[in-house]
Amino acid sequence: MKKSLAVLASILIIFSGTAVSDEKPPIKYGLTLDYTKSYVFATPSVSQAIEDYRNYLNARGGINGHKLEILNSDHGNEPQRGIEAYERKKREGAIVFEHFSTPVSKAVLPKAMKDKNVLLQTLTGRSDAADGEAFPYAFPIAPTYWAMAANIIQYIENNTKDIKKTKIAFTYLDFPFGQEPIPVLQELQKQLGFELKLFPIALPGTDQSGVWSGIRRFKPDYVVAWSISSLHNIALTEMTRNRIPIEKYISVVWASRLDLKSFGHERAKGVKRVEAVATGTEIPIIQEILKMYDEGKGAGPRENVGTVYYMGGIAEMSILVEGAKLALNQFGEPLTGEKLKKGLELIRDFDANGVMAPVTITSSDHQGGGKTRIAEWDGEKWAPITDWEAAHTELVWKTIKEHSAKFIKENQ
Amino acid sequence: MDLDWWYIGELVVNGANAGLMYSLVALGIVLIYKASGVANLAQGALVMTGGYVVLALAYDAGLPMWLVIPLSMVILFFFGMGIERIALRRMAGQPLIMIIMLTLGLEILLRGIVPAVWDRGGESPIIPLTLPADSIFIGDMLINTSYLLGGVIAIFLVILFVYFFRTRIGVVSRAVSDDPVAAWSVGISVERSIALSWGLAAVVSAIAGALWGSIQGVDWTLSLLLLKAVAVAILGGLDSIIGAILAGFMLGIAENLAAGFLDDIVGGGTKELVVASVILLTILIRPHGMFGREDIERI
Repeated sequence: MKKSLAVLASILIIFSGTAVSDEKPPIKYGLTLDYTKSYVFATPSVSQAIEDYRNYLNARGGINGHKLEILNSDHGNEPQRGIEAYERKKREGAIVFEHFSTPVSKAVLPKAMKDKNVLLQTLTGRSDAADGEAFPYAFPIAPTYWAMAANIIQYIENNTKDIKKTKIAFTYLDFPFGQEPIPVLQELQKQLGFELKLFPIALPGTDQSGVWSGIRRFKPDYVVAWSISSLHNIALTEMTRNRIPIEKYISVVWASRLDLKSFGHERAKGVKRVEAVATGTEIPIIQEILKMYDEGKGAGPRENVGTVYYMGGIAEMSILVEGAKLALNQFGEPLTGEKLKKGLELIRDFDANGVMAPVTITSSDHQGGGKTRIAEWDGEKWAPITDWEAAHTELVWKTIKEHSAKFIKENQ
Repeated sequence: MDLDWWYIGELVVNGANAGLMYSLVALGIVLIYKASGVANLAQGALVMTGGYVVLALAYDAGLPMWLVIPLSMVILFFFGMGIERIALRRMAGQPLIMIIMLTLGLEILLRGIVPAVWDRGGESPIIPLTLPADSIFIGDMLINTSYLLGGVIAIFLVILFVYFFRTRIGVVSRAVSDDPVAAWSVGISVERSIALSWGLAAVVSAIAGALWGSIQGVDWTLSLLLLKAVAVAILGGLDSIIGAILAGFMLGIAENLAAGFLDDIVGGGTKELVVASVILLTILIRPHGMFGREDIERI
């Protein structure tokens, strides 16, 4: 009896061993985010989206049979911790990374390029990393702030009788994120002839009263705001106080439904923002993810699903998965950083079924075309009021090339 | 260049009111210094805590604002007393610098813990202090009603505290501050007096937290008011309530004028330069501030 049990056990071990060896190894994704310092306004939603998408994907067999494994940790927006986390996850087998932090992405970039690992940096990191020739392993896969600024000016141009008589106030957080669009705006001012005035907001951005007094006196036709999170709430309160119509407010991509909550969703009607991704819960993939929430399998609060930060995570995952599929189909197993890079560069007109603007990534363009649209808050949701488009692309690419050339020169 | 007098007027009036609100935060530093001779570097976090308590009572508990403010003052009073009882009292007899470092540690601890306890998922709600209007216009000059309310309350509280230090309890507090050993030897409860000062500083923090939270929303950045409060307290004199109010008034106007005229030119951040300059110049030129008591020690 004992002997036959041992034989049976041996057979089971042999077969289960075969089953394990048949299972394809996971694709490891190093996700180190800032969960504790500067980016906490967005990271919980981004992380939630990535985990939801991973669960959705793996439940359907993963990427060509490879499960996606996320190696998650916190870097606190500190470059050194980010580098340590990158090295640790690299040792654990990750071939693709996201840090969702400009200082950390910048610090990790040279290492990722040397190691030939893919560095995703959606809406963070170096904007000139859009230049795939200079930064072959960095993938912003979203419009740069230069592209967003240019597209906003195009919207204003399309909606004003005479752009030369139009006054645009640019209010921005006075650090690199806020300052970045200034050269493009100033160049467009020269080309188009509108009046531009800059209104810097000192960090942390909570004291804006003096800034809005100045803006009121400038009497702008539009206010373009490079701000984040709850600072929009303060800006809109000050606009109301100064009797500046809030319909004139056009925000950078970082304005969400949640950010308007304190100001009042009904009161915020007419506020505009530039969008790099679609938002809301009507998108097919979001409908599928919400079914997981109905079963109690969501990765976080249900109200985050479909917000701009959440959709940023979904867009990134959609592109990553598409790139990985193309790489595996075209270049075969095993998936490496080099193959994934080439796979991402094969993506053409991909919008993940309504998640974002159609994206085309090439070996020279890693931002994917730079298309955005303008959406307006209608009291309940962000309603698109333009199509996806990329404007003033020559100027945007001239700016990208100027900056990437500096990087190449400094690193020769 | 034509001067825009309406603009200057607006900068001065709103700067003065904002400065008076800095004074409100600085009062917490002055009260504790007057009673115990300790510079309280946890005042920024106390204001932030006050803001969060007001928010929790108003939003989470759904209480009306007329009840929220007094209730939060009571809660903060006991919170302040509790800090003194649990942390500060153990430090009796320890070097002064270590007590100051303890308050700095408290500031850092509260900055970390309080927003985590009342995590609002990245939202920084503005406290709804219902005012008749957001702003008043006189000609082309905007007067921010939130700042105006803050300024009026700050003056009211200063008058209250000036009288408080003339009451029996107030005189006892001053005696403790002057010479704690002598006060103790004549039967004064030094501990109770210092605890009371922490309680009162926390009460002021609840009011400051509510007022500042009605302008910039409630999140950890409220604690950054510490720097402005320190500048006000140093300029006014660490033990002078009147000094705090005048210094706040001056600092508010100076930084608003600087920001209004220089930010465009230098690209922002001049308010912080004004604050830093005030701290440095006061310490270098007049270390005891405008109205602080100058102690001369014989050696």
